[in-house]
Amino acid sequence: MNKRIVVSLIGLAVIFFVVSLLIFLRSKDQSGEKIEEQAAGNNAEISEETSVARVRVFFLTEDSQLMRPVERELRLTGNKEQGYKQFVDLLFKGQPSYITPIPEGIELRSLYYVGSQKMVVLDFSEELLDRFPSGTESELEFIYFIVDNLCYNFKEIEKVKFLIAGNEFESISGHIDLEEPFYPDYKYIYAPDQQ
Amino acid sequence: MKSRVDVQKYKTTTLMNLKQLILIGCAAIPFLVFSLPTSLSVNIRSYDHSGYTRIVFEGNKGFEYEYSPSKNTLDLQLYQKVSVKYPVESFPGSELVDRVEHRLKKKSGKTVNRSVFRVYFKSDVTLKRNFVLEKPFRVVFDVEKSSPAVKPTPALSQQDPKPEPPKIDPQPLPAEKAEKKHTLINMICIDPGHGGTDWGAVGRSKIMEKDITLKVSNKLKKLIESKLGLEVVMTRDKDEEVSLNSRVSKANNQKAQIFVSVHVNSSFRRSARGSETYYVSLKATDQESQQLSQKENEAFGAEIEQLATDSTDELKMILWNMAQTEYIQESSVLADYIQDELNVLLSTENRGVKQAPFRVLMRAAMPAVLVEVAFISNSSEEKKLNDDVFLDQVAYALYSGISKFVYYHNNLYKEK
Repeated sequence: MNKRIVVSLIGLAVIFFVVSLLIFLRSKDQSGEKIEEQAAGNNAEISEETSVARVRVFFLTEDSQLMRPVERELRLTGNKEQGYKQFVDLLFKGQPSYITPIPEGIELRSLYYVGSQKMVVLDFSEELLDRFPSGTESELEFIYFIVDNLCYNFKEIEKVKFLIAGNEFESISGHIDLEEPFYPDYKYIYAPDQQ
Repeated sequence: MKSRVDVQKYKTTTLMNLKQLILIGCAAIPFLVFSLPTSLSVNIRSYDHSGYTRIVFEGNKGFEYEYSPSKNTLDLQLYQKVSVKYPVESFPGSELVDRVEHRLKKKSGKTVNRSVFRVYFKSDVTLKRNFVLEKPFRVVFDVEKSSPAVKPTPALSQQDPKPEPPKIDPQPLPAEKAEKKHTLINMICIDPGHGGTDWGAVGRSKIMEKDITLKVSNKLKKLIESKLGLEVVMTRDKDEEVSLNSRVSKANNQKAQIFVSVHVNSSFRRSARGSETYYVSLKATDQESQQLSQKENEAFGAEIEQLATDSTDELKMILWNMAQTEYIQESSVLADYIQDELNVLLSTENRGVKQAPFRVLMRAAMPAVLVEVAFISNSSEEKKLNDDVFLDQVAYALYSGISKFVYYHNNLYKEK
């Protein structure tokens, strides 16, 4: 009799243990689920939790007409749009001994992703109009610094549209048409894999 | 007995390993296949246009090439092996192209990793231009029947600062015979960049782009009027602000036949220097207009008009915004002529002919270019821009390039 009770108790304990283990594993799986954003060429990931992504950022240099690549790690938190914004913040911060073609005092007011058009919309503060140094080359450097870097690192982005203070503008300083979105043009970067 | 068990165990383990290996191998095959570099294949097309024939080599990916034209052949050499549908392609319907032969290059009897396409022409030809188009990658050659009448004037040089201006036929042919694109040029629009509160780029010495562009444009106007005898319309003739749309509207409304926008460049890179000439690149806004843009690269005029007739209102709007579409070919020729003269007459670095989506060029219904004379952000070039003699040279280079284009265009017209 005693023996039966002991066996039953052991059986119940085993069942309890297995059920507990399953519940624990399931909850761990859900909390660790990742939303992956494959980044072209370097397999960067953006997770809902804080994670570190490896990105390749192209900066200008004095000695080359092409933007040169720099490998960077980027701490990402939040959703997809927040991830893109953190990436653009990285562009704003620049890289020592490289040139960042963004004038000082300009802010990114907002960024959003239009999934149906695979387009990122960037809204810059109106200082972009006042503080931009003018010149065709400067405009092209600024535009493709942002467009090529975003599209190269996040392949789900096909095009980028620029707004200034929430509005569409003909151009930044009288040259390149800003009303239509820009597709990447990799002739401005040193990226043999995209040539 | 013990050893037999061991042997069975070993056999089972080996079998397992083999199965695993086969499974892993099968799984790896697709990855290996996809990771292999795709071979280059090239399609060849040819089109006859008014005054020239176009030959297009379209690759499934980009490739490096060299070309060498002769009287009645054109060799295109690629630095890799190429797969083609047929080793010899004939073009019986083409006015100038007879056939294109493909072969692998041989060195000391052995084939090397190079392919050569030889285009055989039906008569002697002159290569007008060669350029590359993207998406898909295409190498394009435009050739015309050799004829002394359409040859441009010899290159100008600084030793010969006042050449005879090309002769312009003052008598236009009857209007009913003239096509929209082929009328004798009698009016040129010069657009001095910026103005008024829009200073443009500013140098360290506080010189402003708007003042330099106006100075050069005024000098250019005088040269064109006095030497070519053509009418010149300016988008501004004083220090005033004019919107980009007003500039191009003025040129379109006055029915100018050439639009030249004069600018001074600036870069975030202080070392950037040199002169460059742009014509428009049409930013494809969606898949439909990308296809349109691709069509446009291959055919002009009537096909575009037909597309406009058949298309949706949205696409018609895109076409309207791209009035330049119909003239892009001539714009590239104009850009070539001007850049050549800038290279010859100025001692600045040659940055070449380029394309970008310029707002002021997109709606121009005529051959249109934008010239970046030099970099105001570069200290040595800023000094030059402060020098009136240098600005005279710039104006003369622009005049020379324009006059060659006028000569080329009017000869094409006279031939028709």
